[in-house]
Amino acid sequence: MATRRAYGVALAKLGEASKRVVALDGDTKNSTFSETFKKAFPDRYIECFIAEQNMVGVAIGCATRDRTVAFASTFAAFFSRGYDQIRMGAISQSNVNLVGSHCGVSIGEDGPSQMALEDLAIFRAIPTCTVFYPSDAVSTERAVELSANTKGICFIRTSRPDNAVIYSPDEKFEVGIAKVVRQSDSDCVTVIGAGVTLHEALAAADMLASEGKNIRVIDPFTIKPLDAATIMASARATKGQIITVEDHYKEGGLGEAVLSAVGGEPGIVVTRLAVSGVPRSGKSTELLDMFGISAKHIANAVRQTFAN
Amino acid sequence: MEDYHKPDQQTVQALRNIANRLRINSIKATTAAGSGHPTSCCSVAEILSVLYFHSMKYRPEDPRNSNSDRFIMSKGHAAPALYSMWVETGFLKESELLSLCQVDSSLEGHPNPKQQIVDVATGSLGQGLGVACGMAYTGKYFDKSSYRVFCLLGDGEMSEGAVWEAMSFASYYQLDNLVAIMDINRLGQCDAAPLQHHVEKYQKRCEAFGVEELCKALSQPRHQPTAIIAKTIKGKGIPAAEDKLGWHAKTLPKDMAEMVTKDLQSRIMNSSKHLYPPSPVEDSPPVSLRNIRMPSAPSYKTGEKIATRKAYGMALAKIGRYNERVVVLDGDTNNLTCSDIFKNEHPNRFVECYIAQQNMVSVAMGCAARERNVVFASTLAAFFTRAYDQLRMAAISECDINLCGSHCGLSTGEEGPALMALEDVAMFRALPTATIFYPCDGVSTEKAVELAAMTKGVCYIRTSRQDSAIIYNSNEDFHVGEAKVVYQGKDDQVTVVAAGVTLHEALAAAEHLKKERISVRVIDPFTIKPLDVKTIIDNTRATRGRILTVEDHYYEGGLGEAVSSALINEPGLNQVRLAVSHVPRSGKPHELLKIYGIDRDSIAQSIRKMLSSSTNAK
Repeated sequence: MATRRAYGVALAKLGEASKRVVALDGDTKNSTFSETFKKAFPDRYIECFIAEQNMVGVAIGCATRDRTVAFASTFAAFFSRGYDQIRMGAISQSNVNLVGSHCGVSIGEDGPSQMALEDLAIFRAIPTCTVFYPSDAVSTERAVELSANTKGICFIRTSRPDNAVIYSPDEKFEVGIAKVVRQSDSDCVTVIGAGVTLHEALAAADMLASEGKNIRVIDPFTIKPLDAATIMASARATKGQIITVEDHYKEGGLGEAVLSAVGGEPGIVVTRLAVSGVPRSGKSTELLDMFGISAKHIANAVRQTFAN
Repeated sequence: MEDYHKPDQQTVQALRNIANRLRINSIKATTAAGSGHPTSCCSVAEILSVLYFHSMKYRPEDPRNSNSDRFIMSKGHAAPALYSMWVETGFLKESELLSLCQVDSSLEGHPNPKQQIVDVATGSLGQGLGVACGMAYTGKYFDKSSYRVFCLLGDGEMSEGAVWEAMSFASYYQLDNLVAIMDINRLGQCDAAPLQHHVEKYQKRCEAFGVEELCKALSQPRHQPTAIIAKTIKGKGIPAAEDKLGWHAKTLPKDMAEMVTKDLQSRIMNSSKHLYPPSPVEDSPPVSLRNIRMPSAPSYKTGEKIATRKAYGMALAKIGRYNERVVVLDGDTNNLTCSDIFKNEHPNRFVECYIAQQNMVSVAMGCAARERNVVFASTLAAFFTRAYDQLRMAAISECDINLCGSHCGLSTGEEGPALMALEDVAMFRALPTATIFYPCDGVSTEKAVELAAMTKGVCYIRTSRQDSAIIYNSNEDFHVGEAKVVYQGKDDQVTVVAAGVTLHEALAAAEHLKKERISVRVIDPFTIKPLDVKTIIDNTRATRGRILTVEDHYYEGGLGEAVSSALINEPGLNQVRLAVSHVPRSGKPHELLKIYGIDRDSIAQSIRKMLSSSTNAK
């Protein structure tokens, strides 16, 4: 199930639990799946049409004086349209929740104008922000619940393509706590991915296992705050080798967040895979490959660490 | 309407045929791709046919010709319709259409300027009209030539505020060479657009903004931009989809596509008329943007004090003196950004954009299109966040624009955090085509302006509010991606990398620490992107691997993270970072620098700590 679809299911579920949950969208509800909430609670859904600045402002307004728990969604790329409003939202100590779908090159054919590749950077730079990047349906649902209960600006990054459910329904999630989703006694590298690239990392782990090599795979769950302790512990257990892989540009995203977390620790080597240069239209899987963040590239990067 | 000559029957039939071929091609292409927006293409078929084969004067064999009328498909998702027009002109091959969206095709899901037929990328809605304004402004006031600019908008996107910023601008500047065509097909992505088919409401809104509706305009002399409000049917030509919800971005399944295209084909009547677009008037002046240089070296003297924002204004005026295609835009902040210095000297090349930063960035892109101008646009750095989607699209559009943001960081002082840019370096670093200049004094600011003018892509110059000392000689050479070591001694213990206001704080800290027999080296990166990785690494190695970064910016995405990225995998290096960690408050600048831990005392204290922990480690 795509995490975008899981968002819709989760929001409707949350809306069932609390009458104060309201949802907003910018004429993309059938893409972001906020329509699932709308169908269940039409009176608590606000269509903002194609006007993202205003949608963010309206969401902030809805959340003032604790009148509602507001979730506003659109394509992650279009939150760039409302960035000044988001910046002011932090200065205003707003508790608004923003959900951006269609992140990264994994959206495929529609091309770069619809792809968010800088959203992790801009949301990380917001002081009061918590950045969730759930990798499956279960963790998406937990992210929605946590956002509703976390102060400040919460951003949840969802993806377009379907992917496997990897967590059991009773897995507990917390802000700033990563999950080690694959490990063994003889892991040689720690690979950190999120969303689409977490699944690519798992696929790479399978490829490498068949070559007799094991890797540890970490799902950060929240990019901000980042679980530095888990990452460090894992790095130490894997001879200091870390590979980060993200469906995002190199600057300001998962890779730089990890660098900031492990920076200064001796003996840690970090290899970063990310999208470089403006991408293009194509099939989702072809683009992941073309822009160096697919399972094949992750496996190559792992093999490269042996060579060095 | 005496000026209006109704086209003859043969011409009308030929235009109808082209429209139906557009429908056929859009359906075929999107069905083959399994992706795209055929119903959005179908509603604009007649509009495009008339524009491309009747109204616009252009050279089909030279899509970027400087004399040609310009066209912007603001509703970018109708890309296949645009591509179909260029198949009709013969510039593109019909077979190429079937490769739409494929990973090796030049025809992507939304228009981008890798294709000659596109000036700026669209796909993020509501931005095209602003760019069209920039092109029209250039045509009317800079080129003073006859070309017109046409922009096609969808009704869904007219909810975007940026559209109305553009309307205001167009009417204020009497851009009578601009025509906005609105495809009112009633349906958005999920629901009907708010005004549905109430074209009279659109008319009233346009008129309220000073934009004349076509029929009225034709009968009077035109001093205002024009809008054509077209009442259309989404999915026209696809019976199952006409005016129906649920068909946005839906491609036709193969058998339906075949049936529909067969029906459309049958409506294509033989016409003896072969239409060819009329030629443009060749009255656009030749322009060369190579060699935009400063006429002389900076004239500042060491020890003088000037704010980098003022140095920016003076540099602009200087470069504008000898290069008449340098134009400057501002968002009602010219006395703060100091672009007023340029304005006072070259008023005809200054474009006031008022408090509408999104539109300002789009207009800048339009002015820079087809290499007509070297454009500088300025406002307070914090307000470029207002235009981040436009900046994102500028990178995708491969635009060459120069932006200057003043009042960066805590140096803004008393006005408080609403006016402080503390995330701007992060947002510009994440743009693929960006170069980020963060000059610390008047000399380097002037050099930054000159370099920005010559550097492709989105160039961003970050300036500060308060005065700072001149530290460079006038004949110092500066390059993009080249840092300067501005303070060093023998046996330096720590390398400090700082910029703008924190560079001066670092110098003060260095002087102070000298008295404690602690010797440090200070580096001015000059450009944060690209960063001079080699200089930073070499100097850090020379200072026993110790490096401290200090920035007037939040921790995330700025100078500190740029340096960490650079030092990645260099063994034995230890970086400490100072930055602003919380939303700040109002106060005197020097007080704020202290409270948020990026002033000279904090720097000195950090250095002492780094040295004592090294000693302890030993």
